[in-house]
Amino acid sequence: MIETMQQVLEGVLARLKYQATTYLPSLVAALIILLGAYIAALLARWVLNRIFKGIAVDRFLRRTGLAFMLDRSGRLRATRLVSESVYWLILLGGFLTGLSVFNTDLTTQITQSFVFLLPKLVVAGLILLAGVWLSQFLGRSTLVWAVNEGVPSPRKLAGAVRVAIMFVAVVVAADQLNFARSVFLAAFIILMGGAVFAASLALGLGGRDSARRYFQEQSEAKEERGERSLWNHL
Amino acid sequence: MAENQLPLDALRAAEKIRKADVVIGIPSYNNARTIGHVTRAACAGLAKYFPDLTGVIVNSDGGSKDGTAQAVVSAGMEDANLLLLSTPLTGVHRLSFPYHGIPGKGSAFRLIFQMAERLEARACAVVDSDLRSITPEWFDLLLRPVLFAGYDFVAPYYHRHKYDGTITNSIVYPLTRALYGHRVRQPIGGEFGVSARLLSRYLSREDWETDIARYGIDIWMTTIALAEGFRVCQSFLGAKLHDAKDPGADLSAMLHQVVGSVFLLMQEYEPVWRNRSGSEAVELFGFRFDVGLDPIEVNLDRMLNAFRHGCEELGEVWSIALQPSTFSEIRKLAEQAHPGATSFHIDDDLWTRVVLDFACAHRKARLGRGHLLRSLTPLYLARVASFVIETTSLLSAQVEQKIEELCLCFERMKPYLIAHWDAEPAPAAEKPVPKKSGVVERANLEV
Repeated sequence: MIETMQQVLEGVLARLKYQATTYLPSLVAALIILLGAYIAALLARWVLNRIFKGIAVDRFLRRTGLAFMLDRSGRLRATRLVSESVYWLILLGGFLTGLSVFNTDLTTQITQSFVFLLPKLVVAGLILLAGVWLSQFLGRSTLVWAVNEGVPSPRKLAGAVRVAIMFVAVVVAADQLNFARSVFLAAFIILMGGAVFAASLALGLGGRDSARRYFQEQSEAKEERGERSLWNHL
Repeated sequence: MAENQLPLDALRAAEKIRKADVVIGIPSYNNARTIGHVTRAACAGLAKYFPDLTGVIVNSDGGSKDGTAQAVVSAGMEDANLLLLSTPLTGVHRLSFPYHGIPGKGSAFRLIFQMAERLEARACAVVDSDLRSITPEWFDLLLRPVLFAGYDFVAPYYHRHKYDGTITNSIVYPLTRALYGHRVRQPIGGEFGVSARLLSRYLSREDWETDIARYGIDIWMTTIALAEGFRVCQSFLGAKLHDAKDPGADLSAMLHQVVGSVFLLMQEYEPVWRNRSGSEAVELFGFRFDVGLDPIEVNLDRMLNAFRHGCEELGEVWSIALQPSTFSEIRKLAEQAHPGATSFHIDDDLWTRVVLDFACAHRKARLGRGHLLRSLTPLYLARVASFVIETTSLLSAQVEQKIEELCLCFERMKPYLIAHWDAEPAPAAEKPVPKKSGVVERANLEV
């Protein structure tokens, strides 16, 4: 009995010893790499914060409204954007290098997948960012226009514009990532087709007279405008 | 059109005429009905007041299809029956050219200024083409201070109906006066006299392809003259009567272009206005007299509805543009803005803060400048409605006193502007305003 227990314990200890001698150096090496990457990232961020100014990028961020979109306070500056990006890229590089130290099938597969997916992830992220910006911009344009023109429910209209644009952005990003491609595409076609069909039906059945009157008034107003000065004073 | 380069037909005409003392510019677009009268007045003005000077009338046209150009070229003073003490030495050249570039008044002015510079004119006057109250004396009043008194810029001074020129009265005049410290009563009047020196300065600038090319041109000219230390005066021209306002003209686009230009120039001339306080009178020439004015109809209910509608819907924009306290006061006002309201009132202090907050938000570009400026329309309509209610029973002198009080408020609030100009505003809390039933009609554009 005691002998059996001794054998079991010896077996456990041997396995532990094997695992420790096999994996511990790799783990320590990975941690060292990660620590090195962390220090390098901190250093790079510190240096960039001091030497990189990016005034033109700041102007671009401010003018396009991206500064306020990414940071509600609007204090986002190119320096911070670049230094933070470099910081996280170095950390990510360190993490992947650390993983590759283990040299197992699983870690190799994870690293390879990540490296393969990274450019696509970046592009998809940029598409989503552009979608958010465009939806905000066009949504706001619609809102202000609708209010000034006295169109009913401007916020709902602006919301619909935002949702439509974001939906398109998500479809394109999903397509980029090869993620549920057909599902998104089908949903998009069904929704857009449905919306157009509903609008056509609504206009055809409910608002024929109104539409005719509207276009007639527009046409008359256009003719009248042509005869008048555009520079009457304020 | 290349930078500062005249179109070929204008160049040929300039080479033929070679030199002129005075150029009178008339921008136009489909103004055949009125431009003949304006041209005849210009011809008569030159013959009567400047008989020994060479004058050229330049019509800069935006592609009229109603015979505007022919009306200019064929208009003369043969039928004017003028009693002239001196015989004009030379006839007045009348030219009409289509301008190129962005369609708008500013692009039309650019061609006129280029022509004046090319002809080495000592003075240039520009007048609108739809004026019905213009007389030959206007040209004397616009040109003489430049030609014989050393002024660089002559701004007009008119009698206008109390509800006419509300963008001027509620935003542009008070703000320009408070910023640059000069009381130019009609900074976007439309009729100006300009010296050769100032013309060169205008043409040397590189912002012609912006809103300046459109409605922004008037305030741009006035601001440059004031901010860069050119000698500025005003001339009393009597009444300004012109064709009815274009019903299709987009009010928010007009506001966008005019107010956007004021705000952009504020940024450029910040070092100039930062240290100025108060204001001083600007020399006024011409004999002042009272005149009858065309009545102007306003639709208060539409303006109030537009404001209320704006309050219900534009919270996300105004909460960024306005300071939290200003935004909160505006939201409270929305509850009073119902059709038939006779007690609706935006006081001078609140209105001044609205304009100054928008100026600061424009500088910080926290949201698209187009969105920001166009979202000002309902607030502007509210201020006009408040002004109309307040001045219904007042005479024009009393109304002028009200405008003076607003101007003094803008001057007093300058420290507020300076304090918020650089500061990062905290985003205001946004809560939806409870909706009232009823369809909102489109705001009246006649104001």
